[in-house]
Amino acid sequence: MIAIDHIHKAFGATQVLKGVSLDVAAGEVVCLIGPSGSGKSTVLRCINGLESYDSGAITIHGQTVDVRRSDIHRLRTRVGMVFQRFNLFPHRTVLENVMEGPIFVKGEPRTDARRHAQELLEKVGLAEKQAAYPTQLSGGQQQRVAIARALAMRPEAILFDEPTSALDPELVGDVLTVMRDLATEGMTMVVVTHEMSFAKEVADRVCFLYGGQIVEEGPASRVLSEPQNARTQDFLRRVLNH
Amino acid sequence: MAYSDIAAFFPILLKGAVVTVQITLGALLLSTFLGLLLALMKRSPFAPISALASTFINVIRGLPIIVQLFYIYFVIPELGIDLSAFQASIIGLGIAYSAYQAENFRAGIEAVDAGQIEAAKSIGMKSALIMRRVVLPQAVRIALPPYGNTAVMILKDSSLASTITVAEMTRAGQLIAASTFQNTTVYTMVALMYLALSLPLIFGVNRLERFFAKSRQGADQ
Repeated sequence: MIAIDHIHKAFGATQVLKGVSLDVAAGEVVCLIGPSGSGKSTVLRCINGLESYDSGAITIHGQTVDVRRSDIHRLRTRVGMVFQRFNLFPHRTVLENVMEGPIFVKGEPRTDARRHAQELLEKVGLAEKQAAYPTQLSGGQQQRVAIARALAMRPEAILFDEPTSALDPELVGDVLTVMRDLATEGMTMVVVTHEMSFAKEVADRVCFLYGGQIVEEGPASRVLSEPQNARTQDFLRRVLNH
Repeated sequence: MAYSDIAAFFPILLKGAVVTVQITLGALLLSTFLGLLLALMKRSPFAPISALASTFINVIRGLPIIVQLFYIYFVIPELGIDLSAFQASIIGLGIAYSAYQAENFRAGIEAVDAGQIEAAKSIGMKSALIMRRVVLPQAVRIALPPYGNTAVMILKDSSLASTITVAEMTRAGQLIAASTFQNTTVYTMVALMYLALSLPLIFGVNRLERFFAKSRQGADQ
């Protein structure tokens, strides 16, 4: 469904992606792991065109992702994104945050959008918070609203950019539970994460990035338990002993 | 200081106060419109447009307001455009303050977190919709307290219109003082009447600032 073919990207003189290729099938959950600066968030941001790439190609169901093309907006409605810092709209209520896209981007009737948004808030366990403003919620609750906001567009896939990194440890669990449920329902997910236990349990595949390249990839159990590459071994030793 | 004097001067000064309020509102409106235009021009990706806005802002900020008023009142008519002193004072103050308003609006727009703009993009919003639904509603709230301060400054600087013969409150006071020599009574009254106009505005701005400081605190939790 998502096909990344040999993409390169540089920020100024720094080459951040050096030929990354990755195919994600519908319904698959892929976790990208690696040290900071390895390029994993950049790969994710290239998939929905928040970042452009210099060469190579990314397609979603055969449609090319290109920031300069006018169909980029339509394409983004098909691939949701959840950010590390939640990025909810602080001047709108929880319900309005979730309804914003369906009403103003897709032109759904308000009553339909409201019903769907309420169902999604129910699903992420925040039905009673629909009238609250984001600042009145904990980080974990904000992140679950952000997931509902992404789901409201009825996307074919969702990208998660370190969704639990900004959370206090006791709030991580609720967010991971919602993500686990989504995976079980068959949502296609690409997740940049430092949660190795989540990756092990939920991911179909794990890719380890180092220096702008995927240096190791395979089934979660194999990559995380019996890494072959020395860099992967070194990285896992450090995060797991942490 | 006789009460009869106060009673006699008050209606004249009140007439001046009405003109003062008219000039203030007119200049505020004009500076808001021009300021927003300049702020958006300054953000234009097209270099000549942003350079034009920057140059205009710098020139205006580098000139004393009184010189700008003289220029508009005395020089523009020589180009064949007829302006009353009242019109010239509104245009002069409006242009002078548009530079400061542009900075207010620019700061408000830039204070909106880039992460939110990305989030808006990620649900497929186009830039005009992002401006309308995400950036401007928040920018207006951020720019409101400095906007109020600018309104107070325009109110006070409307007294400069007295130098180009507009019979606003300061000018009215000058005329009464010159003919009655009751300087203390007249200028005390003028000062108090300015305060009656400006203090409510200042208190309003303070309340707004406190309100927004509180809501920002909430955001950090």
